[in-house]
Amino acid sequence: METLSIGHGAGGRLTEELVSLILGRFPGNPVADREDCAVLPGGIAVTIDGYTVTPLAFEGGDIGSLCICGSANDLSVRGAKPLYIALGVIVEEGFPFEDLARFMTSAGEVCRALGIELVTGDTKVVPRGQADGLFLTTCAIGKTGAHPGLGTRNISPGDVILLTSPPGMHGATIAASRYGLKVNGLSSDCAALWPMLETLLPLEGLKCMRDCTRGGLGTVLCEWAESAKVGIEIDETLIPWDEASISVCDLLGLDPLHMAGEGCAAVVVSPEEAEAALELAKNHPLGKRASIIGSVTEEHPGYVGIHTASGGTRLVDKPVGEELPRIC
Amino acid sequence: MNDTRQRIALLSKALDLLTDRPIKVMEVCGTHTVSIFRQGLRSLLPPSLKLVSGPGCPVCVTDQGEIDAAVSLAGINGVTVATYGDMLRVPGSGSSLMNERARGRDVRIVTSADQALEIARNEKTRLIVFVAVGFETTAPSTASVILDAHRDRISNFTVLDLHKAVPPALEALASDADIDLDALLLPGHVSVILGLSPYGFLPERYGIACAVAGFEAEEIMLGLVEVARQIKEGRPRVASLYGQAVRAEGNPFARSLVDRVFEPGDSSWRGLGEIPLSGYALREEYSSMDALKRLDISIRRTPPPDGCSCGEVLRGVMTPRECPLFGNLCNPSHPVGPCMVSGEGSCAAHFRFSAGGDDPWKR
Repeated sequence: METLSIGHGAGGRLTEELVSLILGRFPGNPVADREDCAVLPGGIAVTIDGYTVTPLAFEGGDIGSLCICGSANDLSVRGAKPLYIALGVIVEEGFPFEDLARFMTSAGEVCRALGIELVTGDTKVVPRGQADGLFLTTCAIGKTGAHPGLGTRNISPGDVILLTSPPGMHGATIAASRYGLKVNGLSSDCAALWPMLETLLPLEGLKCMRDCTRGGLGTVLCEWAESAKVGIEIDETLIPWDEASISVCDLLGLDPLHMAGEGCAAVVVSPEEAEAALELAKNHPLGKRASIIGSVTEEHPGYVGIHTASGGTRLVDKPVGEELPRIC
Repeated sequence: MNDTRQRIALLSKALDLLTDRPIKVMEVCGTHTVSIFRQGLRSLLPPSLKLVSGPGCPVCVTDQGEIDAAVSLAGINGVTVATYGDMLRVPGSGSSLMNERARGRDVRIVTSADQALEIARNEKTRLIVFVAVGFETTAPSTASVILDAHRDRISNFTVLDLHKAVPPALEALASDADIDLDALLLPGHVSVILGLSPYGFLPERYGIACAVAGFEAEEIMLGLVEVARQIKEGRPRVASLYGQAVRAEGNPFARSLVDRVFEPGDSSWRGLGEIPLSGYALREEYSSMDALKRLDISIRRTPPPDGCSCGEVLRGVMTPRECPLFGNLCNPSHPVGPCMVSGEGSCAAHFRFSAGGDDPWKR
């Protein structure tokens, strides 16, 4: 009997198979646009996400801050201001009250800073061994404003790709902690993107935004190239790399383009407004390392290429399953 | 254009000038393979230089029967299998360690042999099987851990010893007329341990040009320029471009650790078959730590999957793209053979990063 493997949850090609299996059982053509959140009639934006991170607390954040930032970011990249949150808590018997309180405090702090209201929730306690400590699910609800139609379908050749911060910092931090590496200066980028992305919304040439979470920047770009049927070319030397994350990836043999970020967005904007978008992003602390990293092309539709620091060119692909450390 | 790009463009130009006839160069090590692809270096090579990947991906050369043995060990109650992440996805004849983990078997990823011993120290009720793969680079750390376990009398630590030695495999390739290699790009880190002398037979007996190179783009390009120059001058030798790290005599301390624990033994390589004395067998003194003996499991010979050409790819006689399964029946989501599984496998690298040296935009 074929069973699920951990790779089905890693955001790459296996995840696509899993998602197709689920969607195929529902009437109509559910979540057809495959964006980060759904925008319902009246500009109501909705998203839901489960959080199962190990370890529960990491440099730069914890599962509490992550569960609010992650879902709020999924709304923010479609130009929707996060307003409400619903929270599901599944906690394992024997879990310390103190830890739960600490994580809920972090979640509450992010809500307070963003003006998000917790409106409903659920708690379940399961017997020991049936959950890995604590699983959180958040459903975030928001409202679109100036730019209701942001999405992949707007992407066209000539557009410019802007990255708001170094990619892969969250993934590298988690990988380092799982495999017992200590790296100075390494920290998750876990942050709510709304305050920065909000400043970009007045730009008419703003086409599409995506937070580079599971599967990393590489996956976001591949999905754009495939669904908008365009080519994308980026330049390795223009990506604002984080040194500590790169060392972790080098040591473990992981691809930084496939590592998740939790406070990093890729933005597609018309060439006329690229500089304006860059300046707006840079004006916000979260975007101080923002950079224009490439552009959308008519050639080689469906593919993403990277011009490497060596001057060569290669394809960028999505990760297949869980990124595993290499042997030597 | 930045400095690196400028220097590499110059090296690419030099390579073009030096190759006035078609030459076939094998990069032996999987880390080289991935680095070459990831840096897009194939798009900078002259058409006359054909680069083929060799048997230096530890996962790829692990024989199917060996994977089956690891899977069998994982199925025994009370056993915890600890191994490097790359090993999990490799399909055996019936299952993989990843599948076994999904079925609830205790399979854990470690990034060093030390971590496996640490599990044994902390979990006395489990019998730990460390699946030890790799070449001269990982054998010393396995040896060191076996010595520690022996000294500290850790009785619940065992090793499935699948270590392999690079030079005998190179000899097998060099002596195979079908392969017809002009040059080898040799891995820096293996050479740090071995030194240069074990490669001497390659230029002497087989006229093969050799360069030991590091893994950065510039170091790889320099290595290629070096072998192209040796070929043009008709003077093959073993040159080290790995700087201070490679001494002619290698690292005697690491080798002495290996010698204390292992002795040369025959080993089965995927694609190359059984190569005499190409393995590191556990010495009698440490046989209580031999997982196969302890748990009475044997390594059986099993045929490779139908149509899989990993063997030909590993010998450099077929490029991944020439395999009829490539890209359709065999791809990274549904790999048939190990070269498509491992992050360092040449098929996976070809699939993920582009075509040969021609058009990087085409799969």
